[in-house]
Amino acid sequence: MSSPFSINGGACVAMRGKNCVAIACDLRLGLQSLTVSNNFPKIFQYSPTAFLGLTGLATDVSTVSELFRYKVNMYRLREERDIAPKTFAQLVSSSLYERRFGPWFVSPVVAGIDGKSGAPFICGFDSIGCIDYAADFIVSGTASDQLFGTCEGLWEPDLEPDDLFETISQALLNAVDRDALSGWGAHVYIIEKDKVTKRLLKGRQD
Amino acid sequence: MEVLLGITGKDFCIVAASKAAMRGASILKANDDKTRTLNKNTLMAFSGEPGDTVQFAEYIQANIQLYSMRNSSDLSPFEVSSFVRAELAKSLRSRSPYTVNLLLGGYDSIKQKPELYWIDYLASSAPVPYAAHGYAQYYCLSILDKHHHPDISFEQGMKILRMCTDELKRRLPIDFKGVNVKIIDKDGIREEPYSDDKQVYAP
Amino acid sequence: MNALVSRYSQPAYQHEGHSDNDTQKQLALDVAPSLSLNFALPPIASTASWLRAMTDDHANPNVPIKLAHGTTTLAFRFKGGIIVATDSRATAGNWIASQTVKKVIEINSCLLGTMAGGAADCQYWLAYLGMQCRLHELRHKRRISVAAASKILANLVYSYKGMGLSMGTMCAGVTPMEGPALYYVDNDGTRLAGNLFCVGSGQTFAYGVLDAEYKYDMEEDEALELGRRSILAATHRDAYSGGFVNLYHIKEEGWVRHGFNDTNPLFWKYKLEKGEFSNVTSQLV
Repeated sequence: MSSPFSINGGACVAMRGKNCVAIACDLRLGLQSLTVSNNFPKIFQYSPTAFLGLTGLATDVSTVSELFRYKVNMYRLREERDIAPKTFAQLVSSSLYERRFGPWFVSPVVAGIDGKSGAPFICGFDSIGCIDYAADFIVSGTASDQLFGTCEGLWEPDLEPDDLFETISQALLNAVDRDALSGWGAHVYIIEKDKVTKRLLKGRQD
Repeated sequence: MEVLLGITGKDFCIVAASKAAMRGASILKANDDKTRTLNKNTLMAFSGEPGDTVQFAEYIQANIQLYSMRNSSDLSPFEVSSFVRAELAKSLRSRSPYTVNLLLGGYDSIKQKPELYWIDYLASSAPVPYAAHGYAQYYCLSILDKHHHPDISFEQGMKILRMCTDELKRRLPIDFKGVNVKIIDKDGIREEPYSDDKQVYAP
Repeated sequence: MNALVSRYSQPAYQHEGHSDNDTQKQLALDVAPSLSLNFALPPIASTASWLRAMTDDHANPNVPIKLAHGTTTLAFRFKGGIIVATDSRATAGNWIASQTVKKVIEINSCLLGTMAGGAADCQYWLAYLGMQCRLHELRHKRRISVAAASKILANLVYSYKGMGLSMGTMCAGVTPMEGPALYYVDNDGTRLAGNLFCVGSGQTFAYGVLDAEYKYDMEEDEALELGRRSILAATHRDAYSGGFVNLYHIKEEGWVRHGFNDTNPLFWKYKLEKGEFSNVTSQLV
């Protein structure tokens, strides 16, 4: 029996740019070697500028994304404002730790821009909520080893939105092309202070 | 060697499920129905651990029917799929999880579109244009990749289904006794007669 | 068998007894054929189970030795000869080790072998088979039959049964006495003649497409197209198959290679021009 983190496959990456962030994921849903669906996005939006990427066991990707939809909606009703990415990261962390002894098999990535200050923010987590703050990039999923390589090679500080899109796209596509369990197309979000651009990448389909 | 197949077309959804009920080395029944009608326009086909399958399917069926009675309106196929997935996900982390694979075929009368959901025993759910469970996935998905188009007519759909069942008869080492075929469209759910008299041989 | 082989794998001049000093011996060792069938075994009681524990990445994904695996290969007979097609991906666990593997081995101008399973096993033993076929040709002054060639391979792998060899191969060729002939040989010693075989992790997907439209009376371009499309189907659904479609056609005059084509442009051609693969999204909704 293989690890629950690599049954379904999938990859996600977030990057910081100049006054912008980007987050991208692949679209594969598999069952070990079999590809079941080519339309299984792993990035979810929780406020105008806060995004969550989830890789790992597909059932937990769905469950956890729905759990946060509920929690963030409740937050919005109580606070009468959108959740800030930093706050959202804390919510993710504490929610994951609630399952310390029977974890969700997911590796989340948060990317967003603070609604007030406009500061870009990215972070990643392990499956029980340890936050990994980063100034450059965060990777997760079955292609994470490959993503570390491509990101270390391609990322540079203070990229403009268009350059950041090119960088994150190349990093993701070239990483998943070396991983059997992820790929089959990708979604990329470029998040600026008052603009979000979503693009579909046609990746290799083998 | 249970077979579940689902194909959507222009204005219909075909769900086929093998008729053999197997236990160990024996076929106990050769006209088993592995589907349950959830509401007027949603059908669920199931395979997996004997016992779990029917228990889970009828539990879902009862709850969906209860919803329809209480609210005098049916849940859409997508809403049903959300409910089913949530129940299965809940069961997955319980002391004795249901080991059930599902295909959910439906017709959304508001969107006027057929829908098909692939759900496995881990409660991974995905909307798909065509799907299969078990060994049938390995033989039929490539056929469907080649011959399926989103706007196929009912006749074309049945033709593709025939290609799939022929291939399974040709290559699966155990007889699954043919399939029951159910159609979901704007008029509801009906059974489609499906002959099983042709012999197929591996070339 | 091993005694026989070791006798014939020594260079002939070694038996002539005029060289006995150390440099000569060293020289003799250097020119001894590389395919000398001497394999070092681990110094333990049960070699096979130990090897399995070290290399079976399906049972345990964290094994210390990851062998290159995963393949789709197919071959079928039709009225115009034999079509042989393969993908080109090699994986070690989930890592894609290569996308440009040649899985068709050209044994001679009329005989092809395909490789699935352990990449090293297939490469080594099909090279060995090539050598034996050439020796047969020299001894008997005519080309070896496909039946005989596949039997050499089958007997060979059978003699190593239980030692952990992993290979699923097809021997295909056209000879004057047999006409087009196709044999399946695998590591447990099975050897089958047939019209149509698919081997490897993606075999079922290839069978699906191939069976649906296979007829013995196909035209050449029809057959080539079906072979190509079947490999493409398998590379799409099987994570451990991919890369390029390697396509061969064997005729009476010998084999002809029909390219080593990237699956990516091929896939989008079938999707966008013919509307196949409707499960793949090509637009944002």
